[in-house]
Amino acid sequence: MNRISLKVVGAQGQGINSVGEICAKGLKRGGYCVFGYREYMSLIKGGHSSYQLDISPTEIRTTEEKIDILICFNHHGLEKNAHEVKDGGLILHETADWKFSPAEQKSIEKRKVTVLYLPTDEILAKLKAKPILGNVLITSVVWALLGQEKANLQDLVREQFGHKGEKVLAENFACIDAGFEYRAKQSAIKHLTLPKADKNWSKHLLITGSEAMGLGLIHAGCRFYAGYPMTPSSPLLTFIADLQNETGMVVKQAEDEITAAQMVSGAMMMGTRAITATSGGGFDLMSETLSLNGILENPTVFVLAQRPGPATGLPTWTAQGDLLLAVNTAHGEFTRCVLSVSDSQDCFDLMPTAFNLAEEYQISVIVLTEKQIAEALYTQTPFDQKKAKLSRGKLITDPKALKKLKPADRYDLSAKDGISPRWLPGSEAATFAAQGDEHDPSGTVDETGPNTKAQFDKRLRKMNALKKTLPEPTLHQVESGKWKVESNDEKLDLLLVGWGSTKGPVLDVLETLIAQDPRLKAAYLHFTYLWPLKTELFSKLHAKVKKTVLIEGNAQGQLGMLLAQECGVMIKEKILKYDGRPFFYNELLETIRNKIRETR
Amino acid sequence: MSIPLSPTGPSMKDYSCDTQCTWCDGCGDYGIWTALKRSLVESGLQPWQVLLCYDVGCHGNMSDKLQGYRFHGLHGRVLPFAAGAALANPNVPVIAVGGDGASFSEGVGHLVHAIRSNYPMVFILHNNANYGLTLGQASALTWQGQPMNTSPNGIPEHTLPSMDFVFSLEPTFVARGFSGNIAQLTKIFQAAMKHRGFAFVDVLQACPTYNKFATHDYLLERCYDANAEGHDPTDFKKARVLATDTGKRISTGIQDCGCVVLHEGFRLNRRFLWFIAILTISHI
Repeated sequence: MNRISLKVVGAQGQGINSVGEICAKGLKRGGYCVFGYREYMSLIKGGHSSYQLDISPTEIRTTEEKIDILICFNHHGLEKNAHEVKDGGLILHETADWKFSPAEQKSIEKRKVTVLYLPTDEILAKLKAKPILGNVLITSVVWALLGQEKANLQDLVREQFGHKGEKVLAENFACIDAGFEYRAKQSAIKHLTLPKADKNWSKHLLITGSEAMGLGLIHAGCRFYAGYPMTPSSPLLTFIADLQNETGMVVKQAEDEITAAQMVSGAMMMGTRAITATSGGGFDLMSETLSLNGILENPTVFVLAQRPGPATGLPTWTAQGDLLLAVNTAHGEFTRCVLSVSDSQDCFDLMPTAFNLAEEYQISVIVLTEKQIAEALYTQTPFDQKKAKLSRGKLITDPKALKKLKPADRYDLSAKDGISPRWLPGSEAATFAAQGDEHDPSGTVDETGPNTKAQFDKRLRKMNALKKTLPEPTLHQVESGKWKVESNDEKLDLLLVGWGSTKGPVLDVLETLIAQDPRLKAAYLHFTYLWPLKTELFSKLHAKVKKTVLIEGNAQGQLGMLLAQECGVMIKEKILKYDGRPFFYNELLETIRNKIRETR
Repeated sequence: MSIPLSPTGPSMKDYSCDTQCTWCDGCGDYGIWTALKRSLVESGLQPWQVLLCYDVGCHGNMSDKLQGYRFHGLHGRVLPFAAGAALANPNVPVIAVGGDGASFSEGVGHLVHAIRSNYPMVFILHNNANYGLTLGQASALTWQGQPMNTSPNGIPEHTLPSMDFVFSLEPTFVARGFSGNIAQLTKIFQAAMKHRGFAFVDVLQACPTYNKFATHDYLLERCYDANAEGHDPTDFKKARVLATDTGKRISTGIQDCGCVVLHEGFRLNRRFLWFIAILTISHI
C-alpha cells in the first residue's frame, strides 16, 4: 500500500496536537487521505504523548507501527520512539548535543535513518520570537522536507492566526521562512517523496469521530445534551458545548452520570430529543436509569465511549471491552438496542438512526464508540444532510387523535409488535402514569400475576419486532478492485468477523492482501447492530467458509460469546487485542497473513 | 365536588382516580394529597397541563391516586428527571415529590444541585422523618437516639439539620407546611407553582405507624404561621433563623421568595427557555 507515516512526539502541553493538526490539514488539502491517531496519558502537562498521521493518495483507515518521519519535541522521543523509524526514515529533533546509546546509534546507521537537529532556541532568539512559535518553525521544516509549497503553509497559518492581527502573522511568517531556510541548508538530505496526490481528497472534511457524532446528533434533531466529563466521551461534550450558541441546544454539565441519564430521560418523556454520553464507569451508574426506561417504555439514547477497564483502567486508551456490559447491564428483562459506530461516517449516520429506533420502539438505544474512534482524525466525504429521515414511531400529536385517547392506551397490550401509542405530557388528552412499578395499561400499579406476565410479554415482543427490522451485518468484499457490500454465495477461504473500530484496520489489510493476491477469497463481516443480534447471514457464511476468524479489541471475544449464545456457533480462531492500543496496520497484516497461510 | 371553580377550569373530580388509597390511617399523605389536588384545581390547571413526578416511598403511591401526567421513577432520583422534563418543555409546570429518606440520603446530591441550578420547578418534600415504605428505618432526619427498625438502640448519627442545609445553598424559594393544615398548604403549593425558579417546600407530616416522636399532635401543637405573625418573606436572613429554630415552636409559611437571589434565578431560567420541545431535523 502506498502510504507514509509521520509521528510527532513530546510532552503534553508542548503543542504536538497543533503541529499534527496543521500538517494533517495541509496534507489533506494537498490531496492525501490522512488518518490521525493520538496517544497520550491521563495528565495535563508532561508525560509522553504522540500524534501520528498516516498519509496516502488512496483511502486509509489505520495507523502503522513503523514510521517514516519522527518529530521529537524532547529527548524522550529520541529514547522511546527512535526504534520505530523505518529504514531510510528521518528523525527531526530539538535536543542540543544529543547522543544515542552506542547500540541505538549502530542500529540507526544500519537502518540508514537520517537524524536532523533543529536548533529551535537559537533560531527563535535570532528572530526575537516567542518560544510558542517553535511549533510553527518545526512545522515549516517538516513542510519543506515533504517538498510542499511554502504558500500552502502560509495559508494555513493565516487561517489559524490571522485574527490575532498582522503583527502576529508576520512573526509566524518569519518562522516559516526560517524553517525553509534551514531546510535549504541541509542540501545532503533529499525530499521525502510523497506518493502522487489525488486532488479529490482536498474537498473532504478532516474530522474526529466525536465531532462527526456531534454533527450527527444535531442532524438528528437532538436539542438537549446532559453529561458528566469522562474520557473518551468528553470531546463530544466539548464539541457540543462549543456549538451551543449556534445550535441553541441546551448543554448541561450534570453533577454526576445518574443525573445526566435521568435528565435526558425526563427530556425525552417530554418529546425533546436528548442524549448523554459517558464511558464505562459512568455507564455503570446509568444502569438503573436504563432499567427504569425499560419499564416506562421511554425512548432514550446513551453513548458509551469505551476505554479499557476495570475501574479507572487506562483512561486515555482504547478498548472494545464493554459490549456485554451494554447488552446485559441493568436489572430486569426488557428490550433494548445496542449498536456500534466504526468510523466518522457511522458516527454521523447512526445518530438519527439511534433516535429513530428509540422512538419507534420506545426503548433505550446504546451507541457504542471507542477512544480510537472518538479521537481518531478521519478524512471524511462531506456528510449528506438530506439522507436522514425523522421517525417518531407511534407518537400521537394530532389534536383529534389525542382527544380519542384513553389512559389505558399508553401501555395497551393489543399491538402484535408490543408497541403502544405514546403521547407527550402537555398534550390535551387523557393522562397516564409513566410508572416505574409494574402497572396496568394506564400506568396504575398492578401487581397481579396475569397483568405482570402480559406487560412483560408486551415489552419483550418489541425485541422480536426490532430484531426483524434490524439489518443483517454487512459483508465487505473486494470485487475487481472495489469494495462491495453485498453478500454473494461464493465460497470464501477466510471470513473475518468484527465490530466497531476493527473495521478500518481489517479493510486496509484486506485491500493490501487482495492487491497482492487477487485470487484470495476473503471477506469481512461487520456487525453494526449488536443487540438484538442477527445471526442468519453469519451462520450461512460460516457454514461454507474454510476458516472464520473473530477480531476484537477485548480479552474474551465478546461478540464471539454473543454469537455462540444466539446461534450456537463458536468461532475458534480469534485475534484479540486488549493492551489499550487499536489494531495497527502492519501488525494485523502479518497476523491475518499467517491465518491465510494456515488455510492453504 | 364536581363544580369547577371557574367555567373553564378543572374540578376536583377531574383529578380523582378510582384507585384505592393504601396509606395508613392518620398518615400525613392524605393531607398533602388533598392540598396538592386543591392547589392544582385552584390554579386552574387541567390534568393534561401538568407533570407530577414522584420518587419512591409512601408518597410515591400517590402516582396513581391523582390525575395528571405522572412519572414514578427511582428512589432518590426524582429531581434530575423532573428537571430534565422542566427544561425540555417550559410550558408544562413540573411538580416533583419526594420523601426525606430519598432526598437527604440517596438523592442528596441531586437536591444540592437542583437548588444551585434553580431549575424552574416545584419540589414537595414529604417529611415524616423516617423510611416508611420499607417499614420504619431511620432517615437522616430521624431524631438522634430514636430507636427505629434496624436501629433498636437508637441511631448514633447526628440528625441532619435539613433547613439549615437547604438555606446554605441560597435557595430562591423555601416554604414549610404541615400536613394537618390543608388550607395553608394549598396556598403554599400555589405560591410555589408561581415561582419561576426552584421552589423547595418542606411538608412536616405524621407517620402514625413508625414515627413515634414527631406525631400529628406534636406538630399540631407547635406549628404556627410565620407569615401571619408578620414575617417578611423577602428577608432571607430572618427566614433562615425562623426555619432552623424549631426548639419550642415550628414556623410554617412562605419563608423566602428571595430578592437578590431571585434575580440570579431569572437569568438562568431565561437561558433555559431557549429550549423548545418541538422537534425538527436541523442542518448545520
